[in-house]
Amino acid sequence: MLNKIAGHELDRRLLLKGAAAGGLGIAGATMLAGCAPGSSGPVSFGARTVDESPTIQLKGLVDAYTAKTGNEVTYNATEANAFQNNLSQYLQGTPDDCFQWMAGYRMQFFAAQGLLVDISDVWNEIGDQYNESYKIASTGLDGKQYFVPQSWYPWGLHFRKSMMAEIGLNPEDIYNWDQFMGALEELKGQGLIGLAAADKGGWEAMGTFDILNARINGYQFHVDLLGGREKWTDDRVKEVFRHWEMLLPYQNTNVLDLEWDGAMQLLLQKQAGFFMNGSWFGANFLEQSQEDYDDLWIVPFPEINPDHGRDTIDAPIDGFCVAKNGSNNAGGKDLIKFAGDMEGVQAQLDTGIPMTSANNGQDRSTYDAFQNQQLAVMSEAKYITQFLDRDTRPDFAGPVVGPAFQSWFKDPSSTDSILESLQSQWDALPPL
Amino acid sequence: MSRVGTAAQPRVISPQKRRRFFSRGDKFTLGFFIGIPTILHIGLVWFPALATIYLSFTYWTGINPQDIVWAGLANYENILFNTPIFWEALRVNAIWLGWFFVIATPLGVLLAYQIDREIRGHKFYQSAYYLPVVLSLAVTGIIWNFLLRPDGFVNGLLGLEISEAISFFGDDRYNVWVIMIMASWRHIGYIMLLYLAGLKAVDSALREAATIDGATEWQTFRKVVFPAMRPVNVIVLVITIIESLRAFDMVYIIYGGRGGLPILGVLVFENIAGEGASMKGAAYAVILFLLSIVPIIAYLNQQFKEDDR
Repeated sequence: MLNKIAGHELDRRLLLKGAAAGGLGIAGATMLAGCAPGSSGPVSFGARTVDESPTIQLKGLVDAYTAKTGNEVTYNATEANAFQNNLSQYLQGTPDDCFQWMAGYRMQFFAAQGLLVDISDVWNEIGDQYNESYKIASTGLDGKQYFVPQSWYPWGLHFRKSMMAEIGLNPEDIYNWDQFMGALEELKGQGLIGLAAADKGGWEAMGTFDILNARINGYQFHVDLLGGREKWTDDRVKEVFRHWEMLLPYQNTNVLDLEWDGAMQLLLQKQAGFFMNGSWFGANFLEQSQEDYDDLWIVPFPEINPDHGRDTIDAPIDGFCVAKNGSNNAGGKDLIKFAGDMEGVQAQLDTGIPMTSANNGQDRSTYDAFQNQQLAVMSEAKYITQFLDRDTRPDFAGPVVGPAFQSWFKDPSSTDSILESLQSQWDALPPL
Repeated sequence: MSRVGTAAQPRVISPQKRRRFFSRGDKFTLGFFIGIPTILHIGLVWFPALATIYLSFTYWTGINPQDIVWAGLANYENILFNTPIFWEALRVNAIWLGWFFVIATPLGVLLAYQIDREIRGHKFYQSAYYLPVVLSLAVTGIIWNFLLRPDGFVNGLLGLEISEAISFFGDDRYNVWVIMIMASWRHIGYIMLLYLAGLKAVDSALREAATIDGATEWQTFRKVVFPAMRPVNVIVLVITIIESLRAFDMVYIIYGGRGGLPILGVLVFENIAGEGASMKGAAYAVILFLLSIVPIIAYLNQQFKEDDR
């Protein structure tokens, strides 16, 4: 991880040298020198991933941009957690002109601190390719746009069709909690893990909390809780943990030893029946083989409280921002416009890495079966949330909620004291 | 600088007179060699340290200086009364200190003593134990993580699937001890080397004298060698305290910023860096600073007093 940071620093330094040499940067010079530089000059792009599939996808995007405009793009990749942990230092230092980030509170916070470039004019040009809900998700607290969406993915119960068929289960028939518990019991009877779970990274389990809270207490309560308008000590939150506890006997026991990809391995290796996660990991299945990918399916988390049915879903939006301290704001905006425009989206789709784009221009008839199913799961929901760590204060989600859920896994009987502590830590947060 | 000709004058020389002994070149050299390091030291050590202490009494997101708001003791209150993870971290750091103090450091001393006696194969042991010290703690973390993670070498060797894998880092019953063994792997070699250097410097006549007087091996070490090694002992003690309190890299490599195994160093980072930046992190840093510096200053003070006697 530290190597990645170091590598990133090096790239940036190279870039600065390049800028000092009047655009004849080392990075640029060693690349193909055939294209004449366009009006906005060389641009740097910061990727929030070092994984194989997304890297292919993003390189497809920047290569298409270079091919179209002749502007060289320096591609700097950082491992996702390291990127997040260093974001505020990164944005205050010498960031890349355009970088990969997330919508919602996490973007609005940095926009409010003046670290992102207002790209409302980009939205004027490409805005008609997006639904209003995406524009809202891209809008800062001041009503201006700071973000261009790339893709979305739903959080739901993933499983392998072949495996369930072998056992004789049809997860698509599972509608409510009792049926779900029955299926888990069946899987356990087969000597399998019912639900693969991870929380070593401190964020993975937040998705399970989100959906349980939304199912039991509804969208409004969930949003109010994360906004501090409801209390963590509320009996309704305790009810969430009571249900969560019912899932524990069906989970793998080493939740705190696995990161999301470890839990994904359990599903991939057919050791676990279900995996509650965002559908982005479909690309990892495809890396394994086409058969594994074709075998992957998703259903919504079951209903618990009939009042709320299955009306809410976590569907985070990933995308891009332009950093104000970047050396080339105009170039960053040019690149982000290309990324948001159907032309850039198509370049990403052409890499063959599955993506459900936020752009309306993506022909949904080209969706594969798994993507269609994601869309169906998404369409069933009336309310869309981002994710716990995108829907609440960053100084609460990461340093407070993350460790609290981890300590709950260590001792589920301590729910009451953990919730009291969560509330008192919320109350002790500095005023915004 | 010559003292000739000043012998008859009063011993106290006025500063003005003294300054005349420095030529322009001297002044320049002195200014350069003292001034630059002083500026660097103040700028890079004292300024950030004092700024951290000041900021620990404020609310701030770490971005715009005009947003700094005075918070009084709020960050400290928050840590001490509302943050259970602080006490968990303190517990782990205390275990770390205790382990180093009682097990790792004495083991290093024992090894040094054995190697100093030139037991058979001592050259090999010396290199073998010193090898991990060459690696940074971050690299140590990467190596051990590769060995012990659920899909790692050890679990693979035992033929365990990910779901059945021994939870070396996740299970609270033993993850502290796994980390202790990892940290000791490097610490023992470090202490061994320091102590070995000290032992080589002890006059062998002392030991011979003790042997002639009929002292046993243990008595010789305790009553003769150990006291003769006081300067090294102080260094070893200070290093043991500092290493166990400032621990960060290895745990961060394995657990990331979140609290799988909370220690103070990681809490400082988690609260001051990244998206969740608040000056609670600065308050953690000040607490960590006090915890490290107070016992050391107290100990050194006492040592110097004994020296004066």
